[in-house]
Amino acid sequence: MTSALLLTTLLLPLVAGALLPLCRGRQTKHAGKVAAAVVALALACVVGLLVALRRGETPALAVAWIPTAGVQFALRLDWLAFPFLLNVVAVSLLAAIYGWGYLHVDARLPAFYALLLFFMGGMAGTVLADDLFLFFVFWELMLVASCALIAVWGEGDQAGRVALKYFIFTQVGSLLVLIGLIALYVLTGTSSLTQLRAAPPVLDPRWATALVTLFVVGFGVKMAVFPLHTWLPDAHSVAPMPVTVMLAAAMLSMGVYGILRFPLSIFDPSLLAGFSLPLMIAGVVSQFYGALMALAEEDIKRIIAYSSVSQMGYALFGLGTLSQPGLAGAAMHMVNQGIVKALLFMGVGLVMRGTGRRRISDLGGLRHALPLTAIGSGVGALAITGSPPFCAFHSEWQIFAGGFQTPHTVVAILAVLAPALTAAYALWFIRRIFLDPRPEGLEVGVPPLAMRVPFALLAFLALAVGLYPAPLYDWVTRGVLVVTGGGW
Amino acid sequence: MRGDVWVVLPLACLAAGAFAVYLVARLLTSRNDLLALLTALVFAAALVALVPLQITTGVEHLPAWGHFGPGGAFLRADPGALVVAGVALGLGLLVTLYSGRYLALDHRYETYYPLLLLLMTGLVGMVMAADLFNLYMFCELMSVAAYVLVAFRRRLDTAIEAGFKYLVMGSVGTVIILLGISFVYREMGTLALSPPLSPPMGGMKGGGAWTRAGVACFLVGLGIKSAIVPLHTWLPDAHGRAPSSISAMLSGIIIQSAFYALLKVSLGLGFPARDLGALLIVLSLLNMTLGNGLALVQTNTKRLLAYSTIAQMGYIMLSIGVGLRYGVPGAIQAGFFLLLAHAVMKGLAFLCQGVCHFYCDATLIADLRGTAARMPLVAVAFSVALAGLAGVPPLAGFTAKWFILMGILRSSDALGYVGLAAFLLNSLLALGYYLPLIGTLFAPPSSPPMGGKERGREGRQPPPPAPPPTPGEGRGRTASPPELGGTEGGRIRVSPWMAVPIVALGALVLAIGLYPGPWLDWTADVGVYLLAASASR
Repeated sequence: MTSALLLTTLLLPLVAGALLPLCRGRQTKHAGKVAAAVVALALACVVGLLVALRRGETPALAVAWIPTAGVQFALRLDWLAFPFLLNVVAVSLLAAIYGWGYLHVDARLPAFYALLLFFMGGMAGTVLADDLFLFFVFWELMLVASCALIAVWGEGDQAGRVALKYFIFTQVGSLLVLIGLIALYVLTGTSSLTQLRAAPPVLDPRWATALVTLFVVGFGVKMAVFPLHTWLPDAHSVAPMPVTVMLAAAMLSMGVYGILRFPLSIFDPSLLAGFSLPLMIAGVVSQFYGALMALAEEDIKRIIAYSSVSQMGYALFGLGTLSQPGLAGAAMHMVNQGIVKALLFMGVGLVMRGTGRRRISDLGGLRHALPLTAIGSGVGALAITGSPPFCAFHSEWQIFAGGFQTPHTVVAILAVLAPALTAAYALWFIRRIFLDPRPEGLEVGVPPLAMRVPFALLAFLALAVGLYPAPLYDWVTRGVLVVTGGGW
Repeated sequence: MRGDVWVVLPLACLAAGAFAVYLVARLLTSRNDLLALLTALVFAAALVALVPLQITTGVEHLPAWGHFGPGGAFLRADPGALVVAGVALGLGLLVTLYSGRYLALDHRYETYYPLLLLLMTGLVGMVMAADLFNLYMFCELMSVAAYVLVAFRRRLDTAIEAGFKYLVMGSVGTVIILLGISFVYREMGTLALSPPLSPPMGGMKGGGAWTRAGVACFLVGLGIKSAIVPLHTWLPDAHGRAPSSISAMLSGIIIQSAFYALLKVSLGLGFPARDLGALLIVLSLLNMTLGNGLALVQTNTKRLLAYSTIAQMGYIMLSIGVGLRYGVPGAIQAGFFLLLAHAVMKGLAFLCQGVCHFYCDATLIADLRGTAARMPLVAVAFSVALAGLAGVPPLAGFTAKWFILMGILRSSDALGYVGLAAFLLNSLLALGYYLPLIGTLFAPPSSPPMGGKERGREGRQPPPPAPPPTPGEGRGRTASPPELGGTEGGRIRVSPWMAVPIVALGALVLAIGLYPGPWLDWTADVGVYLLAASASR
């Protein structure tokens, strides 16, 4: 039963995505509804899988695929993967609904939703894969689908160039990860993640260091930490808004998942100890860099894009602490960041749709014309600074607690200072758009309902998860147990 | 004459078929489609004739035909030969069906189909040859047929020039091969290449100065025919001017078969595998870098694909070189798997380009804009081919890349890792021309080009409004024949002769990528065979 749920969660979006382009003529306008229904079904399956996980089962499925190479089509859901899976599916559902209002209905709409479903399927497959080869296939599917979405539906005349840059840049990271995966396979003789976890490889320290470096840098490109982030601002600002929401809220967390699943789960902590300080420093640099660039930017979408760089810095810092609260905080931050980032980007989309403008200096005084947007974006801005009672407070607390468990106190103090800069850009963002006096000639229309409903839902979730974080705490604590095996 | 007569059957089928088709064309009918069907039947028969050979082959006993003893066998169906011949016949079958419509623009069908069959005879004979004389004879047969087919559009002087260049360079290669044969004969006294795991004949030890000189001659001569850098310069021109069906064969299997002959001969004459491996790795670095680098600056689609072939040959050579140098049969297997996958993908790419040329007179990359609107099937198939060549999962090129990387990571010294770094960098570099080409296929007809500045345009100007498509209007360079399908609202109906091979190849790219097991098993014995061939020296 649970393996059926597992298979449905993964295959239903992929199959639906393959069939959607067959819509023609009058059926094209239903493509969005069909896609959202499919993702909602997948979400229901994920809830069913949660029930199974709570009963103590580990849903898994394995079918022989390439026997000569020992590669299997193997899926497995454990507590580590669960928060990420839930995040991916929920964000995709909200993005699909948002797209009903955002996109114009034309002959290409089914293709858009088909690619969106492939994108979601790629992310779900990455999280569920229990085999090295399968993991990489889905990893690349994520990239190819999102790149096609940016190239064809991207805004502005630079869409093609941005898509090319995004592909090549992310492919560098992917190739590093590929070498790491293949090296792992060659050195251990097995392609199954379950077996790798059960029997951690005993490797020559130089090989182990090389592998961890490959994985960290490769996944770091996907996480968009400084200095591997340069693809992010362009890709996020050119992509159509539903795709941007999925990129920022779900795809970036795949990098964190990769780091948790590969170097941290498989190698002994003693091999990883040397990486702790560099990762923490890289995290802090990203936090400050992202925040400073967000302060400097003029385009509202790019401001939130740089804010993603900054938030990923928090996560990298948490990962670098190699401590239980740090890792738990990083995983929790992915879910919270998913809620908040989606909220902020949707808010930006509402502003852009309502006013037709993107530059922050052209905006102002929108609190009366767009009250819902103002409140929701305000919630998002407060949440991103990590203030209670919103969700990100809990994950940031955990991350900083993890930081102080390491001997590098100075770095931890610097990390704690970063929210000050976050507050600076976030609150200034809100003030300039909603509270400052309205410029001349700014016409405001009401954005479509389909764009406002997911936005309101996310604002509610940001508060709700902040007030009742217990389930999330529980999930990530068990997830970190999977990584550390109780031994750290 | 003793031995398995089955070995001769594919060759006899092809050669007899060539004569039969010529007679039919001269005496009975000169209709393109009927001749294409007949030729396709011949290919199918030859493919069927390969099956019993595939079943009985193994490293210990290889089906062979001819005298045994000092004269040696004439033909031997070793595992590598079966892989190359199988791919060649399969590709040839699909290309023939494709030509059933594609050749409507050129008219000398009674020359084309027999020449194609003779080309295949030469190719299959060359890879199955077990002694140097037969190798030379079949190699010549293949090459001469290829020269004529490249220059097939003889009304265009550029086609004649390209064919002539190929002829001159190929003939230089042939003469050098002949020189090599004479050197080997002087020392060995025999022309036979003995099979692995059996005692050398005629006192053949390998290693004398004359033999080494002979091996060097073979490396150069066969290197010209397999377009190894720096002997590759005929390839882009030949591709740019030949009919697309011939380009598909040329890039897909002809140069790879010459490369296999190179491997067999060098190893069979005593060139140590370690040294051959090192040489191949070094040459592959040149191939990869030059191929990808020059492909980036091309504006003609077929020349871009030609340079891409040079780069992909570099990947094949790298994998086989690593396997030979470090004794990893899996790496050689991966190299042949890529050879197979590349034949399918490159063949598909050239056939799609041919369709665009046939209906829309497209030769430059910029001419491909709007293909997705006019011929969506061709655009999707072309993208599948290009994405496969770029190594995107779950297509065949990615699976090949995975297995090649697995092989390279078993290297035990620095040369292998240099090759690895070059392989990765080149994979990235290649994206710089595969991706914009895919983008151009899906771009609307008059938008600015993707991925680069337009030459001669400063500042941004709004693109001019697209002129409405006028059905039936030729584009000016070569007049479109009136029998081409009409265009309703911009959509062009592609003839089934061309659509079916394209769909078949596209499905094969996906199938090889998603389910590589059977294909890997097919190529598994090649590595063992080649390493055994060198170990018994």
